[in-house]
Amino acid sequence: MSPFRHASITLTKPLTRTKPLFSPHLSRPFTSYTSSPSNPLQIYHSTSLNPYLNLSIEHHLLTKSHPDSTLLFLYRNAPSVVIGRNQNPWLETNLSALRAGLPSPSPSSDAGGGGAGEEVNLVRRRSGGGAVFHDAGNANWSVICPSAVFDRDRHAAMVVRALEKLGVRGARVNERHDIVQDVSSSSEGREGNNTFKVSGSAYKLTRLRSLHHGTCLLCSPNLGRISPLLRSPAEAYIKSRGVESVRSPVRNVGVGYEEFVDVVAEEFEEMYGEVPGGSVAVGSNALEIEAVRKGVDELQSPEWIYGQTPQFTFSTVPSDADPRPRPALPSYLPENLELSFTVRHGQIQDAKVSGLRYRESPDGLSQDQAISKAIVGRTLHEIRDWHAALEEASLVSLESDHVGKWLDGLFGVGRN
Amino acid sequence: MASIARCLRAARPALPTLARSSVPQPISRLSTIRAFSASTIRPVRKYTKDHEWVDLSADNKTGVIGISEYAAEALGDVVYVELPEKGKAVKAGDAIGAVESVKSAADINAPISCKITDVNFLLEEKPATINQVPEDDSHGGGWIAKVTVDEQGVKDLEALMDVEEYKTFTAGEDAEH
Repeated sequence: MSPFRHASITLTKPLTRTKPLFSPHLSRPFTSYTSSPSNPLQIYHSTSLNPYLNLSIEHHLLTKSHPDSTLLFLYRNAPSVVIGRNQNPWLETNLSALRAGLPSPSPSSDAGGGGAGEEVNLVRRRSGGGAVFHDAGNANWSVICPSAVFDRDRHAAMVVRALEKLGVRGARVNERHDIVQDVSSSSEGREGNNTFKVSGSAYKLTRLRSLHHGTCLLCSPNLGRISPLLRSPAEAYIKSRGVESVRSPVRNVGVGYEEFVDVVAEEFEEMYGEVPGGSVAVGSNALEIEAVRKGVDELQSPEWIYGQTPQFTFSTVPSDADPRPRPALPSYLPENLELSFTVRHGQIQDAKVSGLRYRESPDGLSQDQAISKAIVGRTLHEIRDWHAALEEASLVSLESDHVGKWLDGLFGVGRN
Repeated sequence: MASIARCLRAARPALPTLARSSVPQPISRLSTIRAFSASTIRPVRKYTKDHEWVDLSADNKTGVIGISEYAAEALGDVVYVELPEKGKAVKAGDAIGAVESVKSAADINAPISCKITDVNFLLEEKPATINQVPEDDSHGGGWIAKVTVDEQGVKDLEALMDVEEYKTFTAGEDAEH
């Protein structure tokens, strides 16, 4: 991944009310403005499409803004799958599909063409909730306020009012605090309503400050491509602690990004009062702030993205903990292959391997035991080639690389 | 816990009335437990404005930390508990872990300065325990961490509320709303 690839991209048309309040040459571009008690209301918009940077700026605003202030932050990201704080990327996403990417949005290529793709970033955010897809066709809105006045629905309702102003009909906040749109389906021959999710909600609550953010689908060209990114090939074999996503049908509200952020900012001011100076532009200049830079490093680190995963088990056979029947193994694998392990803080524990076929060993059983023992302690996300990992753990050569290739596919590593 | 108690109640449509009516209930349940198990040897449980509780042992050396019934009720269904790190020394107010419920990651803060000596692994496996018995410090209970406490920690305790003060405090939070 090259996360900084988009850092220099700016909005084609800046927010209409924008007035830059700081010079990019200042060493602390907006921290003093953010933390000052004389700015109880603040609006920011990001000029960057880098999800790691935008989330780090957001976190910086959460932790450094004045405890009594209320902030609105608006941004959008390059194609990314963003999982919740306590989710499992091996269970929630198709890592190979993320790496293969989406068709580049070049005007010359045919829609859906399978050319060289634009890699989809994998991001773990600090707030709770489930996995969502971001691209430049959807807007992230984020409100930071004192915990004492935090309300789960208040700011989703603010966005609903903005959507109404933009002519979007049927939008409302549902019982899951998502923004949904009721769409009449009478045109399709049947009477009745279909409900689509257009914006999710997630929260981060700290002692004094609370953050509510959501991602509103405006005009994403990738709607039809989201579902495969959010389906794991290992789903049938993984049982994870933590949070599983709830799947919802989604749709675009059909609004442009610039008009959306303008009207959301208007609604924010309607609720809280005028923000002197309007919206402050932030972007790659925020990297001059050490805390933001550290935040970006942390969000990009494999220890955060993968290692933060709650404990889970992988097993090719039903167990007490996960009695689901398993799909039949592909026919090219050894018939009695059994593989299971537990992963805690990213590390493999309690591995059990049996039924592997070896080139020369007369004693497959002890081979299996040797492998089981040798993969314990390995860091799952550091295994980039399962065949090599198994070979390394085995005293004698494996008969074929089929098992390794199969595992590569499930865990989204290797070339597949 | 942040001031989760407040608007999280949107998570449960009936919560405003529910939260109010349920406040005295856990307290009375609590005093039953106290009367049964603790008699006079143990000091009373203290609460923070952020809805954590802490019990200190009679010798002021060790303690147990958890979140209050009021907070657990307001949080809604807890789906994951990020436990504190064993061995970590923290100051009062430092985030030591987090609770996820209804799409929210809420920090758990240290009520007093302390060092984490043990964590309740049961919560990782059965996070709902924190909804069921958040103020139970026994095996199978919803306590979060066991700690050792130094002079500063004992001092920090003075700023916290006893059960009656906490009851008044949470009633005030409800009324404000």
